[in-house]
Amino acid sequence: MSARIVAEGVGIEFLFDRQRRLVSPTLARVRARRTGSSSWGLRGIDLEIGPGEAVALVGRSGGGKTTLLRTIAGVFVPDAGTIRVEGRIGSLLSVGAGVMSALTGRENAELLGVLAGLSLRDARRATPSVEAASGLGDSFERPVSSYSQGMRARLGFATADEANPTILLLDEVHEALDHEYRALVQERARAILGAGGIVVAAGHDHPLLEQLSSRALWLDQGRIVSDGPFAAVRAAYLAEAHPPEPAEGAQPGAAGTG
Amino acid sequence: MLEADEAARATRHQARRIDLLVALSISDLRARYGRGSWTSLKWLLDPFFATGVYLILVTFVIDRPGEAPGLSIACATVPFQLVIASVVNGLGSVQLRHSIVLNTRFDRTLIPLAGVITETIAFGSALLLLAVMMAVYGVAPTIAILWLPVVIGVTVLFSVSIAYPASLIGLWYADLRTFVISAFRTLFFVAPGLVALAQVPEGARQWLKLNPLTGIFESYRSVLLYGESPAPWQLLYPSLFSLVLLALVIPLYRREQRQFAKLVEG
Repeated sequence: MSARIVAEGVGIEFLFDRQRRLVSPTLARVRARRTGSSSWGLRGIDLEIGPGEAVALVGRSGGGKTTLLRTIAGVFVPDAGTIRVEGRIGSLLSVGAGVMSALTGRENAELLGVLAGLSLRDARRATPSVEAASGLGDSFERPVSSYSQGMRARLGFATADEANPTILLLDEVHEALDHEYRALVQERARAILGAGGIVVAAGHDHPLLEQLSSRALWLDQGRIVSDGPFAAVRAAYLAEAHPPEPAEGAQPGAAGTG
Repeated sequence: MLEADEAARATRHQARRIDLLVALSISDLRARYGRGSWTSLKWLLDPFFATGVYLILVTFVIDRPGEAPGLSIACATVPFQLVIASVVNGLGSVQLRHSIVLNTRFDRTLIPLAGVITETIAFGSALLLLAVMMAVYGVAPTIAILWLPVVIGVTVLFSVSIAYPASLIGLWYADLRTFVISAFRTLFFVAPGLVALAQVPEGARQWLKLNPLTGIFESYRSVLLYGESPAPWQLLYPSLFSLVLLALVIPLYRREQRQFAKLVEG
């Protein structure tokens, strides 16, 4: 197993009409030419992630973490630059963990199995092991609309894992998991890394991300601010996000006013 | 050797597309219609009610019952059920699957097709109404009934061709969904839905023939009510209309599907 992700100058653009609703380029040409606007969710992303690497994405909400994960997953197609992904992707990229609320756990397992690359027959054969791995018990036969976020994440992860991914993408979903299941996800992530795979995880639970990743990317306004060892990137991010309190007694704005 | 590899890869790719289409259709069927034995009854009752209401209208209110009015109306309401259900399904088809659209890369051009397959299964149950109406009016099937699979095929083709633009309109102009459904319902009345084309004044017939539904409704009447082969225009015009529409919309849909994840999130 050899996985690789190479991004060169990747940009993801969001177009809006004059009511600030998202529109596609086709519609933008028709109805938003004069009054529409646009913003870049990602801009100029150059990145290479090699076999056995685990990378954490950190940064403020809206900084581009989810957009980058979706671009790696092929959910977003770059509007600028190129991205090359070698490997089989297992992704949990939304709070709903990619499961459909109207379907039961079993029905979702079948559908997600096929979406993950299994044949329909193999996806059906795999449902008992997804059921066991998810630990959902009787809830597996109930509609997902009755599930908690943690249960959805369990189902999503168990199904994604069944397709034997070589690239695992996690977007905060794992933070919804209980401690027992988090340990299982970490164990699987290490197994994937040990076999030459890649894990990319985004979130705000830095201790959890640190357990998974040795490298971190700090994203802000769609650009990479910093890329390096987890501890150094995290420290730089926190220093900007939460600057130290001014010393007691100091007057705000006193410096340089004399 | 290289060609053999290429062929094997193409076969695998097609097999995967078929599996994906089946999985999407099954999930759509469950998400839209639920589970259990009552599902077929719901599919069956819908065209029964629609036909019953129009039968009362034609027989008592406008007093133009014509030949075997219940069967004549069913020849329009049953195929129209597939057409309108495909439009409704298409309008919400991408939004219904927003969770998988936002999570996984897959060929989204299969989404409207899966929706039509779902509705065709419901349509299959509704075909029973045609048999019931033939029995009620004592209309015996003739050899022309062998045309029925072709007539059904044209109905499905037309439904597929409108499901794609419906799916795009549902994403582009979500606030216009109700209007689009009403517009398609209007097409039923500007086709010989309530009365057969032969009962329509001569001057209006040529105009009604511009509506592809006219050929579809009349082909069901030809085969089931009049016991004769459908006229060529009844099948060719809706088929040609559908193929032209698909040739125009599919390339646009392929381009737009790259943006679906952005649009469903918005």
